[in-house]
Amino acid sequence: MEEGLLSSGLEKLIEDIIKESTAKAQEVRKQGLAGVEESIQRAKDEATREADQIARGTRTEASAVRNRLVSREKQRARLAYLAEKNRIVNEILDDVKARFRDFTQDKSSYRSYLVKTIARGLEGIPSENVRVALSKRDMERFKEARLLEDALAIARIKKELRFDSQPITTAGGVMLMSEDGKIRTDCTFEAKLRLLQPQLLAEISKTLFA
Amino acid sequence: MKRIVEAEKGSERALQEAEREIAQTKKDLPNRIAGMRDKILKEATSQRERELVEAERAGAAEAEHIAMEAKKQVEGLSKTPEARRKQAVEKAIQLILS
Repeated sequence: MEEGLLSSGLEKLIEDIIKESTAKAQEVRKQGLAGVEESIQRAKDEATREADQIARGTRTEASAVRNRLVSREKQRARLAYLAEKNRIVNEILDDVKARFRDFTQDKSSYRSYLVKTIARGLEGIPSENVRVALSKRDMERFKEARLLEDALAIARIKKELRFDSQPITTAGGVMLMSEDGKIRTDCTFEAKLRLLQPQLLAEISKTLFA
Repeated sequence: MKRIVEAEKGSERALQEAEREIAQTKKDLPNRIAGMRDKILKEATSQRERELVEAERAGAAEAEHIAMEAKKQVEGLSKTPEARRKQAVEKAIQLILS
């Protein structure tokens, strides 16, 4: 009887030892794995943060890539458009030059223009004696045509005018100079074209493209 | 008594086994973390490449559209009516001769 009691107490003791050791081993595993899981989670969070940073950078970079391509094309388009406008305006200016050359062929109209231009140009020369220079062709055409007399009559100024012996190179118009040549009024077609260029370009553009 | 000693020894072995397992898991941890990190960052990098390719494609498509519109506008300029050109020449001549 006593032996039976002893044996069952022993069995209980052994069972307790095994239970306790199993519980301890489980606790060791549990704690160990908890630490491991925590490390993994920490590393995962950090990697995810880095990935988010890459994603944010990517969005900025992608937007820049797209904008760069679009801006470049817009700039190219703007330049092409301006170049075409410029080409057309230059064509018009060439037509203007041709029209002016035609105009100088019409002796009567051109003479009248020269008279008015000389009369107006005289205002810019304060000296008493004024030299009037024309192109070689105009000199031959108008030397004997009372050009200077008519200009003086229109200007209503008392001055001495004479043709300059040196012809100028121009498509048309005149150059007025004081006797000593120090004061000049350039009334040639080319000078007017230069002087009026901003207005001409604005007027042509307005008429063509407005 | 002998059985108690054996149970104690068994208990000790079980504990050591658990500690060994955990030690091995901890030893493998850096590689495991590196692998996981590598996977996450690789995915982010692949996504980045896909998005950049897509941005390039979308930008190129938009640029092509702009180029086509610009071509139409330039062609439109070239088709400026002759009457308007003549009018521009007349206005310019008037300015010069005035």
